[in-house]
Amino acid sequence: MFPFTYHRPVELASAHALLVANEDAKLLAGGQTLIATLKQRLASPSDLVDLARVPGLTGMAREGEALTIGAMTRHAQVSASPLVVEALPALAELAGRIGDPAVRNRGTLGGSIANNDPSADYPAACLGLGAAIVTDRRVMAAGDFFLGLFETALEPDEIIVSVRFPIGGWAAYAKFANPASRYAMAGAFVWKGEGGVRVAITGAGQNGVFRWGAAEEALAADFRPAALEGLALDGDDMIADIHGSGTYRAHLAGVMTRRAVARILERGSP
Amino acid sequence: MDLTGSQRIEAPREAVWRALNDADVLRQCIPGCQELVQASPTEFVAKVVLKIGPVKATFAGAVTLSALDPPNAYHIAGEGQGGVAGFAKGGAKVWLVEEEGATILHYEAQANVGGKIAQLGARLIDSTSKKLAGEFFGAFSRIVSPAPADCVAHAE
Repeated sequence: MFPFTYHRPVELASAHALLVANEDAKLLAGGQTLIATLKQRLASPSDLVDLARVPGLTGMAREGEALTIGAMTRHAQVSASPLVVEALPALAELAGRIGDPAVRNRGTLGGSIANNDPSADYPAACLGLGAAIVTDRRVMAAGDFFLGLFETALEPDEIIVSVRFPIGGWAAYAKFANPASRYAMAGAFVWKGEGGVRVAITGAGQNGVFRWGAAEEALAADFRPAALEGLALDGDDMIADIHGSGTYRAHLAGVMTRRAVARILERGSP
Repeated sequence: MDLTGSQRIEAPREAVWRALNDADVLRQCIPGCQELVQASPTEFVAKVVLKIGPVKATFAGAVTLSALDPPNAYHIAGEGQGGVAGFAKGGAKVWLVEEEGATILHYEAQANVGGKIAQLGARLIDSTSKKLAGEFFGAFSRIVSPAPADCVAHAE
């Protein structure tokens, strides 16, 4: 590896100060993408600011009708939490299927959404559940947070503190995982509750996670997998790579959406 | 991969053509371009920082204009070495068509990357190229015409 300065601040304010003072500094959360990138020398930040010792960034708590999960909470903690399993089972399930055990024991919620990999799982849950992203200076709706391929509304020196997931309604996540990386080739997070239906698709869109409006409308009128017949995403707007063409991913996104709807119905809701 | 698209620019063709040959305009349009120095009327030396997600690599390279047909068309090509990150090269055929006082800029671009950056990013090269091409022509349109224009791009 190349030389860099490692910091492990014990206050949020000092983490922020380090980001401001060093233009080429990077925040280190779980490091499941960043460390691999550093090893490959595809990035060479001057400073790494490890958030592991900053208090108040981990843990899960129910506050009224919302479940707040700290940004540094590991995927394995979310999937095993009785609180999450009870309040938002679809979210616990999603966390339990991210990557492999190593990724789940190190990777964090905040790190995943800050990176906004177009094939990551958590962005679909945030968008599907209508979550709010809480940073050190503001609260953003998930719909305003994810801007495109690896792009978010975060300022260069902004730090995610937690994510607030509203509780209520019924949800399910279906994904077709790449057998090697477990990244979603296509994943659909479907939510039905008061106020309608949300369908968030990850792994497929060229610009990262997105809401599939046509599917939401069809499902709002008739919440059954059959309601999606004849609806298709445009393959030209989907990711095309060595793992699959855009047309394939467009098809897969439809299949995952139907599976998620079927799962919600199986569990005997709406 | 290949990328084709077109963009309507609210400016006369002559002005668009001049901008396409202006080092200062090109520097502002090439995503992540830190430096663009004109070495000859058709050659530029460039330093570009590519930043996609966790990846941040500096590429040093050259931009060359060829097949010049003023004020209708040219071919713009760039290639750079990013050290251990690998290499990137790409080019685009660009042609201009007048339409009611505005100009339609058409492009057909190709992009190639190799080395580690290609290995690690294999699943995202098409999406990234499309995004970068969109940023280039979007910025170009904003600089040349005052009003934002529609952008249509699709990968093939």
